[in-house]
Amino acid sequence: MNVTYNWLKEFVDFDETPDELAALLTMLGLEVESMEKLGAGMDDVVVALVEEKRQHPNADKLSLCRVNNGTEVLDVVCGAQNFKQGDTVVLAQTGAVLPGDFKIKRSKIRGEESCGMLCSEKELGLAEESAGIIVLPPAFAPLGTPIFAALGLKDTLFEIGLTPNRSDCLSVIGIARDIAAKLGLKVKYPQTALVEGPEAVGSVIGVTIENPDICPRYAARYISGCTIAPSPEWLVKRLNAIGIRSINNVVDVTNLVMMEVGQPLHAFDCDRLSEKRIVVRAAGDGELFTTLDNQPRVLTAGDLVICDAERPVALAGVMGGLNSEIEGTTTTILLESAFFKPAAIRKTAKRLGLHTESSHRFERGIDIDNVTRALDRAASLIVELAGGVMALGCLDVYPGKSERAAIPFRPEKANELIGINLERQLIIDILTRLECLVTECPDGSVTVIPPHYRIDIEREIDLIEEIARLNGYDKIPATMPVARVVSDRPTRHQEIEKQLRNLLVNNGMTEIINFSFTAPEAAGKLLLNDNDPRRLAIRLANPLVDEQSVMRTTLLPGLLETTAKNMSFRSLDLKLFEMRRVYLPGEGEDMPHEPLCIVGALSGSRDGDGWSRPNELVDFYDAKGIVETVLDFLDIGGVTWVNDNPEPYFHPGKSCRILAGRDCIGSVGELHPTVQKNFEIEKPVFCFELDFEKLVKYSRTKKTITAPSRFPDSTRDIALLIPDELAAAKIVDCIKAEKAKEIEHVQIFDVYRGKGVAEGYKSVAVRIRYRSFERTLADEEISSLHNKIVASLTDKLQITVR
Amino acid sequence: MREQLEQLRTGALQSIATAASVEQLQEIRINLLGRKGELTALMKGLGSLDASERPIVGQLVNTVRDVIESALGGAIKAAEEKAIAVRLQSERIDTSLPGRHPLKGTKHPISLVIEEICSIFAGLGFSVAEGPEIEHDWYNFEALNFPPEHPARDMQDTFFVENNLLLRTHTSPVQIRTMLKQKPPVRIIAPGTVYRCDSDATHSPMFHQIEGLMVDSGVTFGDLKGILTVFTNQLFGQKTGVRLRPSYFPFTEPSAEVDIACVICGGKGCRVCKNSGWLEILGAGMVDPEVYRHVQYDAEDISGFAFGMGIERIAMLKYGISDMRLLFENDVRFLRQF
Repeated sequence: MNVTYNWLKEFVDFDETPDELAALLTMLGLEVESMEKLGAGMDDVVVALVEEKRQHPNADKLSLCRVNNGTEVLDVVCGAQNFKQGDTVVLAQTGAVLPGDFKIKRSKIRGEESCGMLCSEKELGLAEESAGIIVLPPAFAPLGTPIFAALGLKDTLFEIGLTPNRSDCLSVIGIARDIAAKLGLKVKYPQTALVEGPEAVGSVIGVTIENPDICPRYAARYISGCTIAPSPEWLVKRLNAIGIRSINNVVDVTNLVMMEVGQPLHAFDCDRLSEKRIVVRAAGDGELFTTLDNQPRVLTAGDLVICDAERPVALAGVMGGLNSEIEGTTTTILLESAFFKPAAIRKTAKRLGLHTESSHRFERGIDIDNVTRALDRAASLIVELAGGVMALGCLDVYPGKSERAAIPFRPEKANELIGINLERQLIIDILTRLECLVTECPDGSVTVIPPHYRIDIEREIDLIEEIARLNGYDKIPATMPVARVVSDRPTRHQEIEKQLRNLLVNNGMTEIINFSFTAPEAAGKLLLNDNDPRRLAIRLANPLVDEQSVMRTTLLPGLLETTAKNMSFRSLDLKLFEMRRVYLPGEGEDMPHEPLCIVGALSGSRDGDGWSRPNELVDFYDAKGIVETVLDFLDIGGVTWVNDNPEPYFHPGKSCRILAGRDCIGSVGELHPTVQKNFEIEKPVFCFELDFEKLVKYSRTKKTITAPSRFPDSTRDIALLIPDELAAAKIVDCIKAEKAKEIEHVQIFDVYRGKGVAEGYKSVAVRIRYRSFERTLADEEISSLHNKIVASLTDKLQITVR
Repeated sequence: MREQLEQLRTGALQSIATAASVEQLQEIRINLLGRKGELTALMKGLGSLDASERPIVGQLVNTVRDVIESALGGAIKAAEEKAIAVRLQSERIDTSLPGRHPLKGTKHPISLVIEEICSIFAGLGFSVAEGPEIEHDWYNFEALNFPPEHPARDMQDTFFVENNLLLRTHTSPVQIRTMLKQKPPVRIIAPGTVYRCDSDATHSPMFHQIEGLMVDSGVTFGDLKGILTVFTNQLFGQKTGVRLRPSYFPFTEPSAEVDIACVICGGKGCRVCKNSGWLEILGAGMVDPEVYRHVQYDAEDISGFAFGMGIERIAMLKYGISDMRLLFENDVRFLRQF
């Protein structure tokens, strides 16, 4: 909502400066989003008198003037010809800044001193073109008066961001009322003096409402014999100041009154209305109508149309029709002022994408009691500006007039909820200043009837808000609540989420956050099978772009896109993870599932480049290592790493799924070369993905802690020659299966292929650490146990000791 | 024997004096005092002496041993010190070379801000609640007093999914879910991801909010002001000015926008605060009775406040980030700075 300082001042007599007024409005909840000072920098452009004018000695087309600005007489060189000695003119003195950042400076023109400039309308930004300088009427204003003030053009434009509840402030009067209430001043409402002709309105025009549920009130006036013409300058300037284009005297009046009092109005060319009749009815499904922006519209049964005896002439509350609009030749006018139900107007405007000043007001709700007042004001202004005769009376069809209900109100409740302690009388005063009708009953109870224009006030709480607002939020003391202790510790889920984020970061991983929506093609790029459940993504009905049209079922695409993008910026050493939800459709009517998942990607150098170590590249085991760190941290035991049935997006020979018992809790592997190509990733990437919900499920909360043995350990190494396809982990499993309590630790410390090892075989070196909790183990004891283990290995796994 | 001892003493002291290293001195010790050492051998010979001579010679042996021990001790200490001095003299590294450490990992700034805000509110007795991101229209709008076809719905451009589901446009539905699950007192904050179909330099279709809700008997608007003042002071510094001004949300009344004194210019006016000196950081208000009706709370018995803030905005202010899109581009050159 745009409004100017001067316009507001017409209705309330406040002393505040524009800056103070802006602060006051903002603290009333009418947020001033921007402020534009019209005529800023023009204080040095003043009314002046040409006391002497003579020819410039060195230039034919220039004159030398002696100009009186009220305090001194200055020399000014001027090029215009349209003035004479003794004229009152406009002088831009040194220091003035004209539109276009044109600074006026003392200068010499062809050898003659000039201390300013005599201005044209164009130079002041008051007109598009102008011939010569401004010559004001004699004694227009005291010499030295700033011209913008003298012309009444000095003003400030406020752009106010209104919240949807304050439809009453979609007018200058509405905002003026709030200012008046805050400052304890009276609003000066515009006075309308109606001059009506003898002819009764009902004998000329007729109005029928077929749908009073959507249009509970429709009022009209009739004016004949008027002349359509351009609006007078004051009206054009007023509308221009708030960003409305002038059309003609009649249309401009409807816009002016709408801005002034908040009632949208529409003027029809009455001669173009069949039978000069108005019928308000629901549109037919598929009915066609051309709005005055010359757009054909297809209507539906939910839309309300204003019709004449034959056809629609306006889309109710939204826009008039091309077939009945005011034209240059129009002489008779039917002026409409009505109330339409917000929901219906909103539906129509939204469906047609047609948002107008009128629909904006009807959608938010206007003041049904103001319908005829606005109509009278507009009709008399039209007669004043366009001439003609107004028919006698107003045709007001208002079948179900309703009174506003009184709201029971407890002043002490207001104090209690806000946390203040205002006197009862002050509370009642505040409501009275808001034009509420406050009734104090003998039993001390209070009822309040809010003013008709405040449709947002319906309940006690609405009144309490008004008390807080008018008294000022800044006057409410900040207190700390006295409340019962409620403190739940974080859930296990929340705690583990936080711990894992810390763990991953401490292991060198950088957290990323991608959008929850992705492209439908992502599943294909991952080579997911046609029947993979991850292809069943939840779709958005109204995505912004196709690449963000489905909710992600896996975090991998985002991770891989991030990887590719970073590599393209030459960030090649990457350790990324994302811990976010995925979105899986629910069964039938169920809500979708939103389990938390973790994915990670590693690529490039393991520890970053450096002088102190070889630059080693990450591989599968770095990714697996991170997963193992996570599993170890959560104390998830009994995990197996299986190669069969690999994920389609991983290298089948360099990936595995992670099972806790038989339940798959994630996977780890090198990215499949095709997937790498699909995502335009330059270098090999090693990824892992973990199902967070399952991690929580299998995490053991209570760790069993044992005191360490106090006896010395002894280690034995074995080198085993095993077929390439045999998993080295089997050796460790087999050793552990012996369940010898003296085995403290088993570790594979070397895997070797090549010289000295036959083709198709690998040499695996295993270190076993023996230790007893009871005593120092003798050499012979250990050797005997060790030999037994070696024998068992060669026996069970059919492998040989090197 | 006495001469032998005397000879031993002289010889020992001489060789101690000329020994060049700790190792040589240790060798001397073993040769003299060890199990098979010369002095030990002499001591073993004491038994063959006259009983009258034994104490005197024994005394002498002890004296000689003490002398040697003391000389050895001194010499070893000196030799060790010398050896350390020599080692310290000879060993030199270039300490200007960078240290050896694993690559640094970082949390996403959104996570950092959420953690910080949650921990501030944990200190004020608020626990963390969560809710679904794909939400029912009822929780996201209707129970929060946004009737169908209400203009307030225009404040939040919504992504729709089928079956009356949508992507939640704010974290406020968690209020409803929490109140339906438990009776007062309620004191929660709910961080989460939210969505609006809007995308430009200042709007992201996905962003994050933190919702707060406190319901108990006798909670006032002044309490809301108090809690938010404590919170903003902890988040932005002890003396951050806080201003509440009237606003409108369907689910709170009275409602407020909460501004803090601009953290960039300190309130003097700059580009970031559009010369107002204030930055809007959250919306808040007293829970509207209509919301209580939907969750079967009795508005006559209890009162409470709710507030919500955008995490991206706070992250941008805290870290001086000017373009919100940086937060979702995941460029490691940006992320590694946190």
